[in-house]
Amino acid sequence: MESKELTEKIASLLAEKFGGKLDAQAKWDAAVVVPAEYLHNAVEFLKGDASILMDMLVDIAGIDYQTYPNHEGPRFGISYAFKSTVNPGVRVRLKVLVGEADLKVPTISDLFANANWYEREVFDQFGIVFTGHPDLRRLLNHVEFVGHPLRKDYPAQKRQWLSTNDYLLPALEKRLETLGYRVVQRSKEVGTNDNEFLEGSIKE
Amino acid sequence: MTAEAEKPSIITSSLDFLVNWGRTNSLWPFPYGTACCAIEFMSTEVGRYDLSRIGSEYVRFTPRQSDVLLVAGTITYKQAPILKRIYEQMAEPRWVIAMGACACSGGFYDCYCTVPGIDHIIPVDVYIGGCPSRPEAFFDAMFDLQKKIKDESYMKQRAERVKDQIEMIKAKTAEAKAQAQEFAQEKVAEIKDFVVEKEQNLVKKAQFWKE
Repeated sequence: MESKELTEKIASLLAEKFGGKLDAQAKWDAAVVVPAEYLHNAVEFLKGDASILMDMLVDIAGIDYQTYPNHEGPRFGISYAFKSTVNPGVRVRLKVLVGEADLKVPTISDLFANANWYEREVFDQFGIVFTGHPDLRRLLNHVEFVGHPLRKDYPAQKRQWLSTNDYLLPALEKRLETLGYRVVQRSKEVGTNDNEFLEGSIKE
Repeated sequence: MTAEAEKPSIITSSLDFLVNWGRTNSLWPFPYGTACCAIEFMSTEVGRYDLSRIGSEYVRFTPRQSDVLLVAGTITYKQAPILKRIYEQMAEPRWVIAMGACACSGGFYDCYCTVPGIDHIIPVDVYIGGCPSRPEAFFDAMFDLQKKIKDESYMKQRAERVKDQIEMIKAKTAEAKAQAQEFAQEKVAEIKDFVVEKEQNLVKKAQFWKE
């Protein structure tokens, strides 16, 4: 089957099953707008259906439509780009629109492992909460960052300092222990302290 | 000692010359490379340009053994404390070179996540422009740094350092003395109380037996 025909077929199937609408503004590929509550099922269908097999998640991107010309509807959009490894040249995007009042989208990290970090990034930059995500923390910005920098109302040159660097060893030890390793020696953070100049800061 | 060191004599000035000669001609860089400037540093280091001609062939990947912190690349806010800690871990004497536009001023990253110049975090001795800077520019910076090191006085710095240390030791001893005195006073008061109590007990006992 030609890739164009297959794309059209996928769009019609999505419209039929999950109430998806073709995005008129997408000129280069098929973008289907799906309601947020059907997103997980739609992705499962795309991944698992034998005639489609869109089994590769390329990207998850957040969109802020606040200053977008000719846009009506909710403020935020999340765009999921899929590709097929079986049918070459077939690409489909799913789009979910969410308003500021209810910034919640179901996670798809149980279907695609790489969605875990993509969703963390979208949460970091846009503040969209993915319900059911196993570890929803900031990915790119530091822990003391306030706000979500890729929103259009964030002042682009506002700078936020980080006071200390991450101390990752305790978290690492915990993870090793859950994997069945035994931690022989616990690490303690060594700080630089002016008062301990004569004794030296390293104690253990 | 301080007065002696401050006065330039034939011994101190020739010692300064000797120390500076040694330091100038074996600067060991620590490359803190985060972007494309680090690639330029690599080409400076190897055969064609050959940084070892001026004695910097040892690139140490530990801050504890290096003299020059070479910051080559963009520094983000998430990375800033790490850079600061690495600078603090370096032993004196230490110098810093900011290589390229990003390390000098943030470059074209005028945004929420990039530090606008590493001089917000650590003191910088030499700045190199360019995006990325050419190896020739890096050599120029090294020569500038060598000139700067030749002007420094080892004895003067040492005198200042020793003065600082002596002051610190004096403060520490004074503190310890005060603590010891307090402790002794407490002990004396305790013993007095104890003795008074014993006396009273004895008196009570004596009275009891009289009756």
